[in-house]
Amino acid sequence: MEVGGGASNQRFPKIKIREMKDEYLKFELRETDASMANALRRVMIAEVPTIAIDLVEIEVNSSVLNDEFISHRLGLIPLTSDRAMGMRFSRDCDACDGDGQCEHCSVEFHLDVRCDQDQTLDVTSADLISTDPSVIPVDVAAKSSSSAYDASENKACLGLRQILMLLCLLERKIYRRGIIIVKLRRGQELRLRAIARKGIGKDHAKWSPAATVTFMYEPEIRINEEMMESLSIDDKRSWIESSPTKVFDIDPNTQQVVVVDPEAYTYDEEVIKKAEAMGKPGLIEIEAKEDSFIFTVESTGAVKASKLVVNAIEVLKQKLDAVRLSDDTVEADDQFGELGVHMRGG
Amino acid sequence: MNAPDRYERFVVPEGTKKVSYERDTKIINAASFTIEREDHTVGNILRMQLHRDPNVLFAGYKLPHPLQYKIIVRIHTASQSSPMQAYNQAINDLDNELNHLKTVFEEEVLKHSRDY
Repeated sequence: MEVGGGASNQRFPKIKIREMKDEYLKFELRETDASMANALRRVMIAEVPTIAIDLVEIEVNSSVLNDEFISHRLGLIPLTSDRAMGMRFSRDCDACDGDGQCEHCSVEFHLDVRCDQDQTLDVTSADLISTDPSVIPVDVAAKSSSSAYDASENKACLGLRQILMLLCLLERKIYRRGIIIVKLRRGQELRLRAIARKGIGKDHAKWSPAATVTFMYEPEIRINEEMMESLSIDDKRSWIESSPTKVFDIDPNTQQVVVVDPEAYTYDEEVIKKAEAMGKPGLIEIEAKEDSFIFTVESTGAVKASKLVVNAIEVLKQKLDAVRLSDDTVEADDQFGELGVHMRGG
Repeated sequence: MNAPDRYERFVVPEGTKKVSYERDTKIINAASFTIEREDHTVGNILRMQLHRDPNVLFAGYKLPHPLQYKIIVRIHTASQSSPMQAYNQAINDLDNELNHLKTVFEEEVLKHSRDY
């Protein structure tokens, strides 16, 4: 739908993934501007949909926490939300009234726990029974897949690391049964029905799939080598020490100052101030590259970090599609007729 | 108790248009687009994309009030273009950029999961 002869000003950004885990992602985004990077960040935090408990019907609650308190805690439990992108918002779902029976917009959970022992009983996310096996608390899902994880790790190396991992798993099995919702003493009971729905972080933070999403400008650090060589080794050391993060170091062989980690630089300008204080202004030049960003994405586990980025791109596309001018707006403009032509200088 | 519903922040009320267009009565090739239930996410990328268009003389957006969930994008173009044309072009370019981004990202993910 090309309107008129407007030339395209499209960009072709580049991406390089540095580190990728299920819940963590670090990547470089290049050849675009801060508005795009920030839009992606904002969408990841507030507009990528997930599933979270939204409606709770409490049948019995004789615990120490009141109904609202428990409902709120239930809402905050992250649920595996791979289905969320394909689901409907319950307010858009014509087929039902969002009562949990409708597979298009809701998932029902049941919880029924009673303490019949002297020891305090923890009610956790593991006690939630889902009607949809694909929508379960993320910690429960992680536990059930941990055995598979173990097998894939087998080929890496056997030994200390393996033993440590087994210990970790063992510890999790014993101490971490799930996310604690409430604790019950003898005779107390909690029985409820909960309905999880699709939602976005803009509505309530419980629907945000992102733990943290940040981006930084990639710094470009230029050392004036000539001026640097005029410094004594002690001056070099004290200059390096002036940086609160470890950005520079001395090459043990050549005694030259080298940049070890440009991204550790926090734009604090301490090294620039130090250079000036030493009477060496211009010793270092640090610039933020305006078209190069380093993203860090941490997911709550509701969706994989890599999937979170893909979903964010998809959501942003849908948003842009929604702000396209409708045909009747264009027609209404044409109705200006002669005046319109006149206004356009025709 | 009289708090407005949370969904009012992002659901366009019935009978309201998502985007409305108003041409400037005094300046040729200038117009304002009022976009309902959008914020800096869309406003800023649109504005920056419009700045890349050489026919656009002015492009800006404002969020008039934090509790009025709308933005106003104002565009002024040279005579060989029009605000509407520039607006559509900006959206198309951004859409294509995101398509490209999605492809390269998915390729990278695939490459990365194969390597490790």
